[in-house]
Amino acid sequence: MKTAYITVVGNLPVRFDMEQARRLGPVIASANSNKSITFDYATVNTETNLQDMLNSASFRGTELLTPERLFKKYVFFDGVTCLPEFPGLKSYDIDPERCSSQTLSLMLAVYLRQTIVFLVGYDISNPVELTRLKSIALANPQTKFMYICNPPRTHQLDDLDNGFCDTFIKFQELIDRARK
Amino acid sequence: MQENKAVVYKYSLKLMWPAMCRNRSVEILKHRPDLVDQMNKFRTKIDNVLKIICRRHFQVDGTYMMSGVRLWFESGQDCYDFIIRQPEFEWEIQPELSVMNSVTSQLQTFDIVYTPTGVTID
Repeated sequence: MKTAYITVVGNLPVRFDMEQARRLGPVIASANSNKSITFDYATVNTETNLQDMLNSASFRGTELLTPERLFKKYVFFDGVTCLPEFPGLKSYDIDPERCSSQTLSLMLAVYLRQTIVFLVGYDISNPVELTRLKSIALANPQTKFMYICNPPRTHQLDDLDNGFCDTFIKFQELIDRARK
Repeated sequence: MQENKAVVYKYSLKLMWPAMCRNRSVEILKHRPDLVDQMNKFRTKIDNVLKIICRRHFQVDGTYMMSGVRLWFESGQDCYDFIIRQPEFEWEIQPELSVMNSVTSQLQTFDIVYTPTGVTID
């Protein structure tokens, strides 16, 4: 069944029971930064990380999505899948083989057409990452982006109509509400 | 406990018919029972070989194609083993590998390149 929510776990380590987030919908991991649960999807664009993930028990049931060049090299590994061609990559100036894995995860979340994207452990301290997040959010006005952070609440996405920031407490409330 | 999980065939190859059976229309086959017999034996042999090689599920496509038989594999390792063991059986695989993309639900096709150390995909 298609759900309205999707969670993107970014490049930063997360201290939150992500198993709970799976109650809201699919969870996408960004490379091997987090190995806490069996994620539905994980994006990876470096060979070293992919090899690590292929040999990690926690990624055994995860769909590992890689750019085409890397996919061709690991095509016979059952868990490895080719990343789809994301529309508008050139306009974002994003090279899927060189960008961060959290950007790939974000683009995958948008590609899967979920209504609300939760961003957990998403690194926006890097201005390039923040700009890319904002560009993707602007290009997808029908999707809402909720950035989850530890208190104090950040205001980095407040200039976006479809982006807002909130704390893990709010995220937990949403999960609890979905559980009922 | 037996797992009740649907089988997804991710990999697909086309194995060419023996040379004399290729590109024969159904009309011609009606008048050539010898070819039909050879093709049936070929199918049986494929099935037996796959049973030896494959550790996971496989399927020989029932659809008739003039050039060959389409094979489906659940596991990439089985598919790889089948490709590299061709010299043992003197069969000819069409050098194309189709892979089902679970995210886009598209069948992507890549070229199989034979190298001295194995096969690579281009």
